[in-house]
Amino acid sequence: MTFIFRNMWRRKGRTFLTIFGIVVGIFALTVLGGMTARMDQQVKGMKGFITGKISVAPEDSGAHVRMRGGGSSYMDLSTARAIEKIPGVQTASGMVMVQLKSAEGLSAPQMLVGYEPPADGGMFKDIKMSQGRELKAGDTDKAVVGSVLATQERSKVGGPITLKGKTYEVAGIMDATLGPTDAWAFVPYQDGLNTFLAANPFIKDVQLVQSITVLPKPGADIEALAGTIQKDIPGVKTTSPVQAEKQISQMTTIFSAIILGIAFIALFVGGLSVINTMIMSVSERRREIGLKKAIGATTSTILREYLGEAAMIGLFAGAVGMLAGLLAISALNRATHANNVVIFAVTSTVILGPVIFATILASLAGLFPALRAARLNPVDALKEE
Amino acid sequence: MSIVTTEALTKIYKMGDTTINAVDGLDLSIDKGEFLSIMGPSGSGKTTLLHLLGCLDVPTAGKVNIDGVETGDLSGAALASIRREKVGFIFQEYNLLPVLSAVENVELPLRYLKVKPAERRRRALEALEKVGLSDRARNRPSQLSGGEAQRVAIARALVTEPALVLADEPTGELDTTNTVRIMDLVRDLNRDFQQTFAIVTHDPMVAERTRRIISIRDGKIESDKAVA
Repeated sequence: MTFIFRNMWRRKGRTFLTIFGIVVGIFALTVLGGMTARMDQQVKGMKGFITGKISVAPEDSGAHVRMRGGGSSYMDLSTARAIEKIPGVQTASGMVMVQLKSAEGLSAPQMLVGYEPPADGGMFKDIKMSQGRELKAGDTDKAVVGSVLATQERSKVGGPITLKGKTYEVAGIMDATLGPTDAWAFVPYQDGLNTFLAANPFIKDVQLVQSITVLPKPGADIEALAGTIQKDIPGVKTTSPVQAEKQISQMTTIFSAIILGIAFIALFVGGLSVINTMIMSVSERRREIGLKKAIGATTSTILREYLGEAAMIGLFAGAVGMLAGLLAISALNRATHANNVVIFAVTSTVILGPVIFATILASLAGLFPALRAARLNPVDALKEE
Repeated sequence: MSIVTTEALTKIYKMGDTTINAVDGLDLSIDKGEFLSIMGPSGSGKTTLLHLLGCLDVPTAGKVNIDGVETGDLSGAALASIRREKVGFIFQEYNLLPVLSAVENVELPLRYLKVKPAERRRRALEALEKVGLSDRARNRPSQLSGGEAQRVAIARALVTEPALVLADEPTGELDTTNTVRIMDLVRDLNRDFQQTFAIVTHDPMVAERTRRIISIRDGKIESDKAVA
């Protein structure tokens, strides 16, 4: 270790430049990693909402019952009743959504969701209530609130919450999922519809729904059921849980590609500069390597020493780049915190990933120069001027 | 008792079409506690002989036996182990590592012998004391004079208490005063600790201070005589 540290700093300028090159790459990797981690959280949170459900939306053309308003297609609530008649369907809940506040950064918009609660609840199977209960059929003027919205509105179970000018009693507050539903409020369908119609005065129809969420009976084949609904109900498009997950994971693909791209650039630039630095070090220290071998150092001792130096450059640069990235993430998150927006997430992968990556990268890049050093013939090396 | 023996020791270098017999069928025996010099003109093969004796190089033919170990068929790792345990080297240009202090330089061979840090430090300081440099233990090589640097290198060669210390032109970089000091020091170490020294030199003043002078020419022993 003594050798490694002191040797690293013999050519301060050169070592600094090499480390700086890697730091830049690792900084970018950490920041983008934080962004991806946040995206992942959103996706996982969303998955909790879609698991075990079939989502039914109007098809673009030929809908069973369709109206046009603001460029969107709608269905009639009767479509939900028609779906409920299909064998294997437990309940079909019509939904209508109104935006409370638009999206900021990577955060989901705040939404008011009007839906028909199933008689025995169970609409949010994978999302637990931290307080209170889910909505039940027959509830009026009651709301279930997502964790972020609840914090923002200082909501308490049994207390009031005012959404788009209407005051509801908070029936339940959902556990944080880190997904978009954290910023949503769920109210009975009719209340949601009234708010929706008030926000869209040009729509005169009364029983419209934007989507229908279908819960299957226990033991029913949910994928097959999605196909049956698609086939039997004209003008609708069903999305099964498997399809929904596929759609969501596509969202993260582009981010993963960017991360891979940055990693590749870091690999290329950082790797080359480590190779260059280590080759220079070995060339300058040929005589020293000869001396060490003369007094008993083995090939593996020299190999370890030089590999250690390369790995240390990677570890140091990785740690500095990661810390700089975390500082940037923390500053950006603080800047957007006032608006309840979280753009970056810090997970153990975001912290350890770039450091491990940089260390392995530098070690691999140092392997060739280290082997060259280790294989030097001591007699030849000692003759060097 | 012999510490080192060689039998028909030969080292041949090929440079293009030219064959150079750097060491040519040389038979030699060095006893424990000897203080000898190997003399010869440039290109006579004296440094090659030193490298062969110190297991830094392998012979083309013939045998080297160091402290009872036949080195002919040993692997690179086994030769490194002989160098660690049985041989100490002193070079013309000191070859101290600039990033280490004097005492850390002396500790270096003990590191390779995997001696524990506290024991390492104790033995290194003891070796520095033998060469009269206790007060310069924390200095880096750049803060030492040529004579002091060579004394640190001598301490480094002695610290493992090797069977044989090989010195290649140890006074080549020093002025007359320091040459005398270094040779007196080496002679005292030989006398006080029965440490075996073989010194390669082309300087008669150095050779005359040893007790046996082996002259080499064209890879062969030209003369081998005791100094009165």
